Amino acid sequence: MNEILEVNNLSVSFHTPNGEIQAVRDVSFSLGAGEILVIVGESGCGKSVLCKTIMKLLPSTAKIRSGNIRVKGTDITGYRERDMQRLRGKLFSMIFQDPMTALNPVMPVGKQIAEAVKVHQPKISKKELKKRVIELLTLVGIDRPEERMNMYPCHFSGGMRQRSVMAVALAGNPEILFADEPTTALDVTIQAQILKLLRDIRRKLGTAAVFVTHDLGIAARVADRVAVMYAGKIVEIGTAEEIFTDPRHPYTWGLMKSLPAFSKGRDELYTIPGMPPTLLHPPKGDAFACRNEYALAIDYEEEPPMFRVTDTHYAATWLLDERAPRIPADACVLKAADLPDCGKPYPARGVMKTRIKEEILLDVQHLSYTFSIKDKLSVKALEDVSFQIRRGEIFGLIGESGSGKSTAARCIMNICRPPGQGAKGRLSRTDIRKGADIGAARAGRILYKGIDICELRQFRRNKQMLERARQMVFQDSNSSLNPRMKVCDIIAEPLKIQHINPPRGSLRAEAEFQMHYVGLDAGYLDKYPGELSGGQRQRVAIARALIMEPELLVADEPIASLDVSIQAQIVNLFRHLQREHGFSFLFIAHDLAMVEFLCDRVGVMYQGKLVETAPVKELFSNPQHEYTKKLLSCLNDIRYAPTPSTITSY
Amino acid sequence: MGRRILYFLLSIFLLSAVTFYMARLAPGDPLVSYYGDRAEKMSPKERKWAEEKLGLEDPITVQYIRWLERSFHGDFGISYKYKTDAVDVIKGRAGNTLILGGIGFVLIFVLSLLLGVLCAWNEERLLDRMICKIGTAASCIPEFWLSLVLILIFSVNLRLLPSSGAYTVGGKGGISDRIRHLILPMVVVVASHLWYYAYMVRNRLLEEVRADYVLLARSKGLRKRSIMFRHCLWNMMPSYLSIMAVSVSHILGGTYIVETVFSYPGLGTLAYESARYQDYNLLMVLCLMSGILVILCNMAAQMINEMIDPRMRTAPVMSKSRKSRPPGAAEKADK
Repeated sequence: MNEILEVNNLSVSFHTPNGEIQAVRDVSFSLGAGEILVIVGESGCGKSVLCKTIMKLLPSTAKIRSGNIRVKGTDITGYRERDMQRLRGKLFSMIFQDPMTALNPVMPVGKQIAEAVKVHQPKISKKELKKRVIELLTLVGIDRPEERMNMYPCHFSGGMRQRSVMAVALAGNPEILFADEPTTALDVTIQAQILKLLRDIRRKLGTAAVFVTHDLGIAARVADRVAVMYAGKIVEIGTAEEIFTDPRHPYTWGLMKSLPAFSKGRDELYTIPGMPPTLLHPPKGDAFACRNEYALAIDYEEEPPMFRVTDTHYAATWLLDERAPRIPADACVLKAADLPDCGKPYPARGVMKTRIKEEILLDVQHLSYTFSIKDKLSVKALEDVSFQIRRGEIFGLIGESGSGKSTAARCIMNICRPPGQGAKGRLSRTDIRKGADIGAARAGRILYKGIDICELRQFRRNKQMLERARQMVFQDSNSSLNPRMKVCDIIAEPLKIQHINPPRGSLRAEAEFQMHYVGLDAGYLDKYPGELSGGQRQRVAIARALIMEPELLVADEPIASLDVSIQAQIVNLFRHLQREHGFSFLFIAHDLAMVEFLCDRVGVMYQGKLVETAPVKELFSNPQHEYTKKLLSCLNDIRYAPTPSTITSY
Repeated sequence: MGRRILYFLLSIFLLSAVTFYMARLAPGDPLVSYYGDRAEKMSPKERKWAEEKLGLEDPITVQYIRWLERSFHGDFGISYKYKTDAVDVIKGRAGNTLILGGIGFVLIFVLSLLLGVLCAWNEERLLDRMICKIGTAASCIPEFWLSLVLILIFSVNLRLLPSSGAYTVGGKGGISDRIRHLILPMVVVVASHLWYYAYMVRNRLLEEVRADYVLLARSKGLRKRSIMFRHCLWNMMPSYLSIMAVSVSHILGGTYIVETVFSYPGLGTLAYESARYQDYNLLMVLCLMSGILVILCNMAAQMINEMIDPRMRTAPVMSKSRKSRPPGAAEKADK
């Protein structure tokens, strides 16, 4: 195959006040023309840095320590900014994770695309330029391009923005497209569309792509070849088929097993134990050794070289050394017996019947919630939503962003302000800043144990009980925890506010107990949230909610901002805690697989309406509503490799 | 638009009321400004007569209503100190202030933008560091001291520039004379304000340079120049304009020290004196003027900002496009 991009022994480090961070360590790979290489890895493993290094888009604190990058045989490692400008856009260009911020907000979309065209064809006439912009917009699947090209990014939805970013990236007919988690910030249905678009473009234009993602499912969907990265190194690389049917590195095994499909019908999701190492002081030997259940003594001493499996398949693990002990085949990956066949419904859980009581804890009746702006316009965030949560039940709420899931949760928690006082919702910040009269109107009732919590008098009478019995966990633990408070104060604060005497003596002891309970070390008590990782912070947020011994826990997208392996850990934790405590649980998510694993019953929201409610196995085996079907088809579409049978072949 | 005018009138009304009450509640004797030292020697009877003559014996609210009534007809009363119509007093000096403050404002606006861009362009390089250091040092020098040093150097030692006034008294040297008089005060006004606006421009620009869209712009092969001027500067403009709009009256009227040191007949001194010596009518007019100025500038800035940034346009535009095409539907439309 003729290689257009070759990376040899590339090492990149960042200079920080704390020392050198070795973000990319000794990475080599090559990319053939028209090929899609997917780089898979957890956040912080250096996959984005790798792409940006090749395009030389890194800040000046980053240095290439060694190695070289060759494009079509030319070494560009030493190229200066001016030389790179000539290559960017034409030879390679890039699309980014967050389409919300990747476009200049004060420039019409068409103009931003035109700019990209003009860079490489400065003499193009206005008429031709316009033609080309329209052509590009059509290529990425935006209809009515003449009209849309004069609109600003804020008038576009997330998917359309990502399409526009792609149009910008494709404007110079690049030969290589770097895609840095292009679908992570998008809804499931739109994810599928973008992936399809990417494949279409490869087919039409023959563009090679380096696709960075943390989701193996997505890798399976688009990849020709897959590279698995861990702690700044490529630990395994091979064709998609080889990686998915015959993975050799223990980390790849772990990633595969972390797919919720693997744990279908089990009690717990599989998780890779431990945390990725910091790249500030990478451990001696194999960085993955401490999380590897098959680690050998040599793993702690010496870094494994790349072992050749086939001509295209290499993996860096000592297990492939001929002196290594044989790992029994069943330990490797997914045995046929492990994978329940997908048609088979969920095995009935024995505990379920005793766990869920008949008593209805929360009864939402015909809830509608409307935001109105300046009397002229109103946005119906919720429209006639009714559902019930029984005591001890886990109720999942799924739907794409903007479908009203969060508004429902906020109504239940009484965080949405009562009508007439203005409410903050999914309106833009500018609306609020401009002091637009944002009102809100609510209709319907929310009964919690028979108390109408929307009614002010009843709410006041039972205020204390309601505030103690209902607790919430938010999506972004980074912003929902006060960065200036210590972890132990954060966890114990609810007790302080509610004037509850800590049953274990002191507030600190209580906080320590809760920390232990959610699987955190007591050593974190005196740290600040900023010093913790995302998963640890979310555990703190859960501990804070649980300290009140709630009857109802509402979690608004608690895992959306976490890494795959951490997501699984948190979901396991939720499941475990729910068993122990027996609280009712409203779990809001857009990740269908997690909902399927965790919940007893599921409600599907679409544009403010609850379109379907059903027990989880019924919903997933026999969806009724059009939208649910679409959602589920996307899920299957993305989750399984092109050759799904091969996974089970071991 | 109608709503804006309503808000405008309302805020002017509130401003006038607050100023009126505050001025009168503040300690001090308005008679001193009218009668000078004589006020202290007045007998109680004379005082009463004088207060009655100036209408100061009534309750404040009654005075305020009376003032409102009169000002509606364009009569803002006489200045106690100058014994003539307050508006006339201001008219005589407004021109000077407008020249000093207005040109000063434009200079500050342009220069801080240039300096900011220059610094951001050469981020963390020698030039940037030098400008920042100079700025910090210059901000530490008090205005009056700078003025005195400049006078010492250019007027006393070098005898190049006049040390005081807005023009040569009795002289006939038209515009060049005025410019010569303007140079020193202008330098002080600009030098004392320039740096923090330049800092603001620099830091906002550097924030923009680190934004995601710049990565995309770079990855499509744009040059640094186009990124800086066409993307970053444009994105930063709204916040800069908003800040500048608020500072208009600050720069225009806040020249008290400069005017005092250079004996420059401008509004800054007038405003200070009117507040210091309870020259109520004059104070009211000055406050209203600066209030109207600030609000007008804000409106202008708001309008320009809306032109630059579509997100700042009135809410309905946005939510209309949002509402008519909810996220899912928009995607379907694409298909």
